[in-house]
Amino acid sequence: MDKAVVLRGITKRFPGIVANDRIDLEVEKGEIHAIVGENGAGKSTLMKILAGIYQPDEGEIYIFGKKERITSPGRAIELKIGMVHQHFMLVDRFTVLENIILGAEKRLGIALDEKKCRKAVEELLSLYNFSLNLDARVEEISVGQAQRVEILKVLYRGADILVLDEPTAVLAPQEVKELFNNLRRLKSEGKTIIFISHKLDEVLEIADRITVLRRGRVEGTVLPSRVTKEDLARMMVGKPVMMKLDKEPVNAGDVLLSIKDLVVKESSGKPVVNGVSLEIRGGEIYGIAGIEGNGQKELAEAIIGLREASSGRIKACGRDITGLSIKEIRDLGVAFIPEDRHRQGLVLPMKVWENMILGYHTKKEFLKGKSLNLKAIRRFTKNKVEEYGVRLSSIEQPIEGLSGGNQQKVILGRELSREPKVIVASQPTRGLDVGAAEFVHRELLKMRKKGRAILLISADLEEVLSIADRVGVMYNGKITAEFRPEEVTSEDIGVYMLGGDVKAGEGK
Amino acid sequence: MKKGYYIILLRVLAPVLAIVLSALMSSIVILAIGKSPLQVFYTMFKFSLSRLDSVAIMLYNATPLIFSGLAVSIGFRMGLFNIGVEGQYLIGAFLAALAGFSIKGLPAVIHLPLVILCGALGGMLWSFIPIFLKVKRGVHEVISTIMLNYISYSLIHYLIADVFIDKSQKLIQGLGSILARTPKLSPSAMMPKLHGFLGLFGLQLPRHVYLNWLFPLGILTAALVYYLLMYTPFGFELRAVGQNREAARTAGIEPERVYVIGFLLSGALAGLVGLSDLLSYFGYMDMDFPRNYGFDGIAVALIAQNHPLGIIFSAILFGFLKRGAEGIQTLMGVPREMVSILQALMIMSIVVIAKLMNDYIKRLEKKEEMMVCSSENSSPPA
Repeated sequence: MDKAVVLRGITKRFPGIVANDRIDLEVEKGEIHAIVGENGAGKSTLMKILAGIYQPDEGEIYIFGKKERITSPGRAIELKIGMVHQHFMLVDRFTVLENIILGAEKRLGIALDEKKCRKAVEELLSLYNFSLNLDARVEEISVGQAQRVEILKVLYRGADILVLDEPTAVLAPQEVKELFNNLRRLKSEGKTIIFISHKLDEVLEIADRITVLRRGRVEGTVLPSRVTKEDLARMMVGKPVMMKLDKEPVNAGDVLLSIKDLVVKESSGKPVVNGVSLEIRGGEIYGIAGIEGNGQKELAEAIIGLREASSGRIKACGRDITGLSIKEIRDLGVAFIPEDRHRQGLVLPMKVWENMILGYHTKKEFLKGKSLNLKAIRRFTKNKVEEYGVRLSSIEQPIEGLSGGNQQKVILGRELSREPKVIVASQPTRGLDVGAAEFVHRELLKMRKKGRAILLISADLEEVLSIADRVGVMYNGKITAEFRPEEVTSEDIGVYMLGGDVKAGEGK
Repeated sequence: MKKGYYIILLRVLAPVLAIVLSALMSSIVILAIGKSPLQVFYTMFKFSLSRLDSVAIMLYNATPLIFSGLAVSIGFRMGLFNIGVEGQYLIGAFLAALAGFSIKGLPAVIHLPLVILCGALGGMLWSFIPIFLKVKRGVHEVISTIMLNYISYSLIHYLIADVFIDKSQKLIQGLGSILARTPKLSPSAMMPKLHGFLGLFGLQLPRHVYLNWLFPLGILTAALVYYLLMYTPFGFELRAVGQNREAARTAGIEPERVYVIGFLLSGALAGLVGLSDLLSYFGYMDMDFPRNYGFDGIAVALIAQNHPLGIIFSAILFGFLKRGAEGIQTLMGVPREMVSILQALMIMSIVVIAKLMNDYIKRLEKKEEMMVCSSENSSPPA
């Protein structure tokens, strides 16, 4: 039988880099084939080549045994290749049905034949056993459901090969389970699935075969039954990775951050943080788990002063900081690692050294008279770059030229070097590869050892469970449950993340 | 670091390329009206650059544009569009004129600085309204500054023609009506020309040239703005706010505060735009007081890509074009609108070329980083 996809010697160069270097890949018909690799390993480039977004510079592509040139996304659809993007491309105000048929409507003359469309989509739903309300507006449905809409979109267009780009990044454990059930069902109906991820546990669970990419090359294709997570990580990174971080016991100190009945409202008046109370001691990492959009971001922003608390108090380092300006709060010793590096953490077109002092540019050691002391700033930056191992060609280059991991290191260098007492880290490893994420974790643990109070907000449950001392689950603006990580499994927490068992949580 | 110089070279090259490209495109227009492009450009150069007085006029033309380019660029640098330089300089010029003709008997060393200060104050006053509305009420500065430009036109008209009209004007044989203009400024308020200074170097300028000390003052101001932007904490904040307001806010900088101070500074510079004309050429303000310097300033700032020192050169370029336009009009019968077309093409070219160039530079930098990474990756840190 012909293979679904065969790639031979695919090479794609971008100015200055080889994103894909002579890649060979074979995907059998009806298998779930995972492609793993660090950020920048060339996964996305390869998938964009399959989806017709990029053209390879060299190499051949065979789809179901026939040599093809995928010249455009439209051609990819013709070849029955469907791409499910990581970032959903849906029209919020349209219904599920409208989103699915958009661009491939069945027509009745010049009018839309809604009946026929609906029937076709309903057939798909029952065939693959998907649960979805076709008449719900996309803005009202959950992330997991939106993803199912994306998958249905490509199925509706007749795709036999589905490419899923980091599909689990946004899902709670239960939703991941449901996605996997859907994928298995698709597989049993003969669909071929290419699954891109860097979450190794998931890959080992769902994939029939795993291809590891590293720096644009195929490192190898393995069977999940034959390898361990550590093996895969080593293949991805090229060196052994410590999967378990050594978390030394630290004696908790004084309470450095305390939040009492905090309420934060949206501009519409709807409370997004709805009565959160917590206390964090020095030497303690408090993790907040939860699906994004349940008030975590707003909680972090309220602590640092970016959002106004409509009621409740926030105390840091022994002082009431409610209503203080961001600068005052920072000067008291509260550091902030924002979840969106590019929007909130860095000024991308500015130089590395400029970003290294952003917010601290009026500190005495960076001034000479009323001007900036560029010499001292450059020296400081060079020291930090060395200390944190930031890879760059020059501290004069705009920071947008650095990789995500190196950008995050600059933020860490800036925020942690001022000896803060309280650290609010919001999604600090988002989008980072295994090596860089490990670095961030080690730094946070170092801060813990030094007796800092750390609030770690993360959508990555594994991350929270591995480094936090206590874990609170946030749902709908409230902390609905609190655990010690050693007492729970990710499934237990997943129930609370989805809002289940809220009453029991409140009872605690 | 060799690449660093290469990148700087590319940045300088961008406007030069744009000028060449726009010259090529306007050649088509010149051909369309039946003239030879080469001859037209040759005439422009010869007319502007071959005589000392022409060069001086070119620099005189450039003087207001240095200030207005700087004023606009400060807005751009913090991510705001100060379209209101036009109105701000008219109000500034009027206030300067007011201080010039109403105060008498001061020595020039006090009177002249006072007049200049009034100019800056007038511009600042007129820029305070839009920035106050923006910060407090969220009114978009483009809308409010455009509106204020119209108001300033009418206000100036009213002030000149009604309130402060010079009634002491003598009518020839008692016929006709007096001109709508302010009284003449005291001699102590007038800006000395550069003739005496240049005379020291053996450069003799004829009387019909009005190049004055505001030109060197403009260059000094550009240098000061450059220092402010690149070497002071406030300049740092201004650039950070302009390039990523949210990141600046998160870092503890208050964008609103930066907006207010920056916009007032922009307005103060705008207030100086009209002074070269007022204090050396006219000596009074009338209905024919030059317009459009504010809008030209937008073009000047764009071509210089908001670099304060680049603005000196792009202002001189515009001064050259204006002088050259007079040349081709008188000597070749080419309408001066030709030069407006050339300017417009230049602005469009610079926008396109700057974009392409920046993308290219970014790719170069990325490439450099990848090279660094791959060389370091081979010996991973322990």
